[in-house]
Amino acid sequence: MIARMKSSIVAALAFAGVAAQAETVAIVHARAWTLTSDAPVDDATIVVTDGKIVSVAAGGSAPPSVRLLDAKGRPVTPGLMQAASQLGLVEVGAASETVDHTIKPGSPGQPGAGFDVQYAVNPNSSLIQVARADGLTRAVTYPGGSGVAPFSGSAALLHLLERGDIVERPRIGVFVSIGNRSASATVGSRAAQWQSLRNALDTAKAGAGTPPARGAVKSADSIALELVLEGKIPLAISTQRASDLRQAAGLARDYGIRVIVLGGVEGWMVADELAAAKIAVVLDPTANLPYSFDELGARLDNAAILQQAGVTIAMTLGGVQSYNAGSSLREGAGLAVANGLPYVEGLRAITSAPAKIWGVDDRSGTLAPGMDGDLVLWDGDPLEPSTLPIAVLVQGREVSLVTHQSRLRDRYLPLLPR
Amino acid sequence: MQRTTLWRRRGAGLAALTLVATSVLGASRPMPDFAADPYPSTYRPLPAADMLIVGVTVLDGAGARIDGAEVLMRGGRIVSVGRGLPRTGATVIDGKGRWLTPGIIDVHSHNGTFVLPLTSLDQKSSDVSEISDPNAAGTWVEHAVNAQDPAFAVALSSGVTTLQVLPGSTPLFSGRSVVVKPVPAPDVYAMKFPGAKQGLKMSCGENAKSYFGEKGEAPNSRQGEIAIVRDAFLRAKHYREEWREYSRGKSKQAPERDLELDTLVGVLEGTIPVHMHCYRSSDMAVMLEVADELGFHISAFHHAADAYKIPEQLRSHGTCIAVWSDWWGFKMELLDAIRENAAMVDAGGGCVMMHSDSPIVGQRLTIEAAKAAAAGRRAGIAIPPEHLIQWVTSTPAKVLGLGDRIGKVAPGFNADVVIWSGDPFSIYSHADQVFVDGALAYDRSKPAPPPDFALGRPEMEDVR
Repeated sequence: MIARMKSSIVAALAFAGVAAQAETVAIVHARAWTLTSDAPVDDATIVVTDGKIVSVAAGGSAPPSVRLLDAKGRPVTPGLMQAASQLGLVEVGAASETVDHTIKPGSPGQPGAGFDVQYAVNPNSSLIQVARADGLTRAVTYPGGSGVAPFSGSAALLHLLERGDIVERPRIGVFVSIGNRSASATVGSRAAQWQSLRNALDTAKAGAGTPPARGAVKSADSIALELVLEGKIPLAISTQRASDLRQAAGLARDYGIRVIVLGGVEGWMVADELAAAKIAVVLDPTANLPYSFDELGARLDNAAILQQAGVTIAMTLGGVQSYNAGSSLREGAGLAVANGLPYVEGLRAITSAPAKIWGVDDRSGTLAPGMDGDLVLWDGDPLEPSTLPIAVLVQGREVSLVTHQSRLRDRYLPLLPR
Repeated sequence: MQRTTLWRRRGAGLAALTLVATSVLGASRPMPDFAADPYPSTYRPLPAADMLIVGVTVLDGAGARIDGAEVLMRGGRIVSVGRGLPRTGATVIDGKGRWLTPGIIDVHSHNGTFVLPLTSLDQKSSDVSEISDPNAAGTWVEHAVNAQDPAFAVALSSGVTTLQVLPGSTPLFSGRSVVVKPVPAPDVYAMKFPGAKQGLKMSCGENAKSYFGEKGEAPNSRQGEIAIVRDAFLRAKHYREEWREYSRGKSKQAPERDLELDTLVGVLEGTIPVHMHCYRSSDMAVMLEVADELGFHISAFHHAADAYKIPEQLRSHGTCIAVWSDWWGFKMELLDAIRENAAMVDAGGGCVMMHSDSPIVGQRLTIEAAKAAAAGRRAGIAIPPEHLIQWVTSTPAKVLGLGDRIGKVAPGFNADVVIWSGDPFSIYSHADQVFVDGALAYDRSKPAPPPDFALGRPEMEDVR
């Protein structure tokens, strides 16, 4: 009776979203891509206790009486991470009431840099369900536009737990968008876009450390930019053209702030300058067409050239970054590898590199003791699009691979005329 | 014969006009061929040396895989495929470790009309389709195709040898398509696939009703869309009857030419295949019924997100689907798209193609197929590579009415061939060499000539 009560309490606790309770899982006979070194550990035993990785050892033995998962020689990687998505902020892109990543331009009193998407995140989004089933365990979700040029707003870091709050860290970075795609929607000339950004940083600098006047409160915009100026969070600049990438590097230098570039299609042309300015690039490895005059230099070896130059790169694929947030990353990394990126760097670009860029590499992105037990067992080479996840663990728990799509498949498959 | 002056002539255009005699005794006038092409292709194949590719793994597009095979190409055609072919003095290419497939065929491209780089001018008025009216059946997309679109060269370098450029899906009748080869050319005529039929792009569902409805115009509902479609075909039938009366000598005055109705009569006659943009199974089922009622055939549903719900209806109508592997969710009518869609329709006896609709996806149609097959694998549906390759070669060839000329590596077929660096369904493989009509049109070991747009632009000409 007591035993039964105990187990029902454990179940109830688990259901309430409490982190894994004193539970150990071991994956044995894995080809473990720890990403702490360039080579995998073959026939590895990975032990995860209480949601954290305890050990990864070649030929190691699993502790007695734990839940065992036999990888049968297949690869295990850290859970994937999206460095820039809109997960949790959109359900059906075409149905505007389900879109929370963008503010209607001209809304009175609307925030700019401080537009904080954490308040909108929907953990039950079917996009998150699909992403998690595809092996994505963390994601940065960023605003599409605040309507106050050139600011998109403040992004949030999500940890894709199955239950409970998935916003792991709000206000993880301020996003801006500069270039010709932004021109028509905002102030026009990109010169004015850069000036608006510099003015806003100057104003925030002047106001920093000054307590607000009696009865006044500091705006969300000022707070967000002060965090950037203090170096606590990065400024992510969505921009493509080489000249704008140089401006981004100049901005980082002039203000002593941490800058991340989102896009960076022409990054290969200024790779050394980006490396010198310690600017990481979150790029789309499929971008090889001159979609706009800012992207004339688009090419498939952008990732390889940047990485070779010492730039930290992560990936996100335009258009499918949210709907196929997990699977698209693997395809993109594979494509970059096909075009010169070393294999292990392809894996890092979708795991440890985004963790490093967003400052969560102390807990995720590699398979090492102390890291979150977020990992994926694959049925083949994880960078082949035709590979599928066999098991996805988040904090040491195998998560459900059931989605709206898999339920539809299971309903209609038996009806097939065969 | 005087009626032929109704058609615009262009060079040899008159010769291309086919006049079909009616069988009525004492008929005085022929019926026009509503699918006639007054703008014939000026495409000329590049010089093609005799080529013998040896030791290669062939997926022939007809359902076979031949390891260690030899393929002989001569005079722009495939002469033979097999093992132990006689050496005939042809240039020998070592295919060891490599794979060979028919050239990839993309049945759904907007290249040449969605011209890169896109600008604000395209936002104001794009050439993807004429959207002033839900019925643009009188438009021909070839009149918009800009041969200088850099996307064509990129398609070729990824193994695509034939594309159907379709107009966009905003109108219900979007206009006639054109089939082209992605070869460098100054104009569309030099890219047109000689003798290929035009198709008619139609659409159903959200797009037309949302776009026109928001403007306060018709249609603003699905039933409104169907009413417009039925009405147009009923008028087309009447128009065809008027021509028949005239050709039988029962009326003296020739009917007034109507470009919209010409196209629809071509559809009714079965000479212009219909490519229908439809996502939802309920919309597809309605369109199949409407087509039955009006007496036309739908060659393929494009996008067909939840075709897996109606495989039997598709199969019994002989209607194919052209789909992505995994796009879903961004519109309401895409909510039930599943990755197993293609595999399930295929397993249910249906006809499946992968399509791009995007110059990015169009570079990796084999990867689209690989992803769709992987989803099938998870559902217990095994699709071997030799079957899978048909989704992007012989099946689209058949749908385009070119099934006896392209899409297979078989004797007599056009020598449109790709030599891949490895398994074409692997992300790591590249198209090493692409042959169009037996001529080496792309060679990965040599820099391709940049498209006109790229000339003199340092970002694009790889001046580093």
